[in-house]
Amino acid sequence: MTNLLAILVGVCLGYLLLSNAVYVVLALIGAVENGVRRHESEAEDYDTLASSRFTIPVSVIVAAYNEASAIVSTVTSLLDLDYPEHEVIVVNDGSSDETLERLAEAFELEPFELFARRVFRTEEVRAVYRSEKHPNLFVVDKQNGGKADALNAGLNVARYRYVCGVDADTVFDRDALLKGMRLVIQDPGRVIGVTSHLTIAEDPERTMSAPKGKRRIDRRPFVAYQHLDYLRAFLNNRLAWSRLGFMLCSVGAFQIWRRDVLEELGGYARGFTCEDIELTFRVHEHFLRERREYSVLCLPDNVGTTEGPDTVRKLVSQRERWQRVIDETVWHYRNMWFNPRFRSVGIVGVPFYLVTEVLAPAVEVLAVVSLGLSLVLGLFSPATFALMLAAIAFMNASLTACAILLDDVQSRTYRTRDLARLLLLAPLDLFLYRPIIFWARLKGSWRFLRGDKEWHKFERNVRSQAA
Amino acid sequence: MHELVFRVAVVVLAVSLPLWILLSVAVLGGRARYDRRQRIGPLKPNGRQVDRLLKRALGRPRTEWGEWRRISAINRLARMRHPATPHILYHALWDGDPKVAGAAIRCLGALGDLWAIELLVAALRGDRVSRSRVAAQLERLYPEPGFLFLPLLRDPDPAVRFWGATLIAPYEALGEIDLVNLTRDEDPNVRAAAVEALGHRPGEHAAEATVALLEDPAWFVRVHAARAAGQVAGVDAAPAIARMLGDERWWVRTAAKDALEGLGRAAVPALVPVLSSPDGFARNGAAEVLQDVGLVDHLALEEPQSPLLARIYEAGGPKLREAAEERTARERRIREEKAA
Repeated sequence: MTNLLAILVGVCLGYLLLSNAVYVVLALIGAVENGVRRHESEAEDYDTLASSRFTIPVSVIVAAYNEASAIVSTVTSLLDLDYPEHEVIVVNDGSSDETLERLAEAFELEPFELFARRVFRTEEVRAVYRSEKHPNLFVVDKQNGGKADALNAGLNVARYRYVCGVDADTVFDRDALLKGMRLVIQDPGRVIGVTSHLTIAEDPERTMSAPKGKRRIDRRPFVAYQHLDYLRAFLNNRLAWSRLGFMLCSVGAFQIWRRDVLEELGGYARGFTCEDIELTFRVHEHFLRERREYSVLCLPDNVGTTEGPDTVRKLVSQRERWQRVIDETVWHYRNMWFNPRFRSVGIVGVPFYLVTEVLAPAVEVLAVVSLGLSLVLGLFSPATFALMLAAIAFMNASLTACAILLDDVQSRTYRTRDLARLLLLAPLDLFLYRPIIFWARLKGSWRFLRGDKEWHKFERNVRSQAA
Repeated sequence: MHELVFRVAVVVLAVSLPLWILLSVAVLGGRARYDRRQRIGPLKPNGRQVDRLLKRALGRPRTEWGEWRRISAINRLARMRHPATPHILYHALWDGDPKVAGAAIRCLGALGDLWAIELLVAALRGDRVSRSRVAAQLERLYPEPGFLFLPLLRDPDPAVRFWGATLIAPYEALGEIDLVNLTRDEDPNVRAAAVEALGHRPGEHAAEATVALLEDPAWFVRVHAARAAGQVAGVDAAPAIARMLGDERWWVRTAAKDALEGLGRAAVPALVPVLSSPDGFARNGAAEVLQDVGLVDHLALEEPQSPLLARIYEAGGPKLREAAEERTARERRIREEKAA
């Protein structure tokens, strides 16, 4: 029994050390990528890009389902984007709340018939509205069919060669699209997809109302930890994936795609819990199978702030969905696992997901059980156990501090005192935040095994009146 | 086991705790330095620093990091308008590295002197730099470079002719005859650019040339021709543009709709016959344009029994009718309230 326990503990600690070693390597590669992108951005002529007719126009598509509390702020920020030519297409996916009414009131919508292409089959479109105030705003009102269906309906209406899918609860910086399209404009033949870094807040409107350099990070540690989670995911990991050629998750909150690629692939897939990660996997699979040159990039620029759950229950609901969709996607694309035909995506990217995301909940359960038993059975002294926890906590904290450093060097968004607070919160992440994520991932994995594909949308936070 | 775990934990902690402290200091220290620099503004380099910048700007670094240091040096020297700037930018432009060339293009655009404009135009003739980047800078320098674009229209390279035609578009007084000639160019991209440019200059020759391209075999030429014909030929071109509502390409149909909408109610006589077209796209398109120019709302309010309105509803389908009824209901209510 003791021997078995020792083996289990050894496996779990080995997994932990190995995965953290990989995270350290990724953080180092992410730091290089961050530096390169920062130099590129400093050398970029944004003023010319923002006014040139040679800047490629973009259709921004917002899929909205019961987003009455956030939709006006989101659309206002999108209409306010500093970009020479773009249109905003909001798809009201059969909302049962006042999403459409709020839009109609705020933007003076008028119904108009629009004979768009039917490239993608979607649920029935009930009406199309145009704004009296903003000629580049269209609202498509349709029967509920899920986010992928709503995005496909938006694609049918989109007029431009590039589309940018965004979430309806995110408030964007004025230069978000310009920053996102910068690399596409340099090499439109090769760069087919771009995503960028987003941050999180309980109330995005309030956060974004302050200028860069003076923005606050939510005072509640619960939201601050989510902010740290986003920083780590984007700056330590995705930047490195982007550099290594296996950027496998273009986030739904901000994803730019070349329209013809989406048409070629049949649009967003409805058969998955969530559409973003699956589409990114599909793009890689398709282009690598056909041996075509392409790149899908993640940029380090902070393009906007999205709403984060403000209660444990809402957070668990969100994160269990994320876990489920990762499980679904990695399982669906199992032909890519360790398959050299798919180059770095098959050899490193997908296996990385498999080991650090899909299998992680199982290893975490094993670790909690075996370490708990070891402590009870006296395999470790409490002092050793405490030392081990401290080592893990500071290992995580170092990775977090690295992400904070990369973010601040890149964007200089937040106040110094808020950065200091984040740095101090980092070592406690293991005890205050990780257990919630552990539970959510476990729940997500269980639901995946049961075949649950519901969205389980979390209830929106109460917004500030300033919005 | 206990001993091994203890040792590993000690090693990990011994590495990670100082690392966390070091990174935290880097975050806060770096930020403080950045804030201080922002307050005092950029520092002027002294003689030795300028020499170092010159060396870097003309160097050939082997690493990516070195490349960015070179670009930074080029930017700083150009901003200072150092006497060696033309020499540095010339070399950077033809360097072969797209990043360095891109920086040179940006600096040349920012300087905007005649020699810088001439270098940018020369870069358009070469194929070693991103021509769209060069064009974006030249476009920004309006109206200085205009006359330098004329020779580009007669260049043997079709890509150069394309950019020449694209860039000369806002200069209404320049190059009309050349542009009309380019509408017969063998390269469809050049024809498209020429017809787009002609859309900015009203005149008989431009109108004839744009209308002729409505039948071009290349669909993207037809797209630009439809838009340009609407602008320069006006109502005279409306019947020909209306026929394009049934084009096999969605982009052409959309361009035709945009052009007809731009003509407003003047396009109505050309659209009415299309309502009976055997082509569904053409019928739908005509109904949509009539809706967008306000005729449907006008008829629904003033002449609800009009046979024309019935024809438009028939061509546009029930959703067009429902949308019109919803729009006009509000106007009707306002009128009734006023009357009461």
